[in-house]
Amino acid sequence: MEHDDDPKLSELLQEWHVSGAPHSLDARISKLRRSWWSTLLTGSIRVPIPVSVMIAALLLAMAGALLHQRMTVPAAPAIVPSISLIEFRPVTDLNVRVIPSHEAN
Amino acid sequence: MTDEEFGAAYEQHKDMLYRFARRMTGSPAAAEDLVHDCFLLLWRKTACYDRERGSLRSFLIGVTRNLTMKRLCKERTFDELEDDAAICAPVDPAGRERGEMVEQAIAGLPPMQRETLVLAEYEEMSLEEISQATGAELAAVKSRLHRARENLRRSLAPLLETKGTAYGT
Repeated sequence: MEHDDDPKLSELLQEWHVSGAPHSLDARISKLRRSWWSTLLTGSIRVPIPVSVMIAALLLAMAGALLHQRMTVPAAPAIVPSISLIEFRPVTDLNVRVIPSHEAN
Repeated sequence: MTDEEFGAAYEQHKDMLYRFARRMTGSPAAAEDLVHDCFLLLWRKTACYDRERGSLRSFLIGVTRNLTMKRLCKERTFDELEDDAAICAPVDPAGRERGEMVEQAIAGLPPMQRETLVLAEYEEMSLEEISQATGAELAAVKSRLHRARENLRRSLAPLLETKGTAYGT
């Protein structure tokens, strides 16, 4: 055999054992095989602590500003009912009649 | 390649590729990264693999081998990739397991000799398969394997002598 031309050397070489692929590799490969929508639903990203603190502070500041803005908006003035005179028709034919008080009763 | 085919290919070849990368780099972490990158390439660029050009095993070995060589070149842990004149010194057997000494002796081989020897001795690949996987001429593969064995006989002489055969120069 082309590989076994020195059986003693081959036998000695077999004393170096190397185990198979570790489980951590299986995990990395299964992550690789997930579909994009699955990754979108269940995936996670790493965010450095300083960045996450900055984002949290920014969100808090925005929420505070929004709240402050709502509290300082002046109250809307009370609505006064207005009377429209658009359909008012002035009397054109005025006929004044004086009725004495004893006739009115 | 479907998800099922990919899963089957991974289950079938992961251990062989890991062992190869581990023996080439000497590092479990580096071996894991290399095998991961190999399957990443297969997953993302399935078209790279052409069934008519050879077996999936040879293709994956070839990819892992290329990634490994790139990494070794980056780390520069050797003098030359292919060093015909390289002569490995005998390993020091003091206080060591035989397996550790074999590991040390193989790590001392130039990378091209090491990969040929690892594929031939540990993965039991034929010279033709090695030639296909590494993209080297058959004559070059034979020559590398011969030199690798010569070097190992020299560096492992203390162990081979205790087995009843005297080797080395």
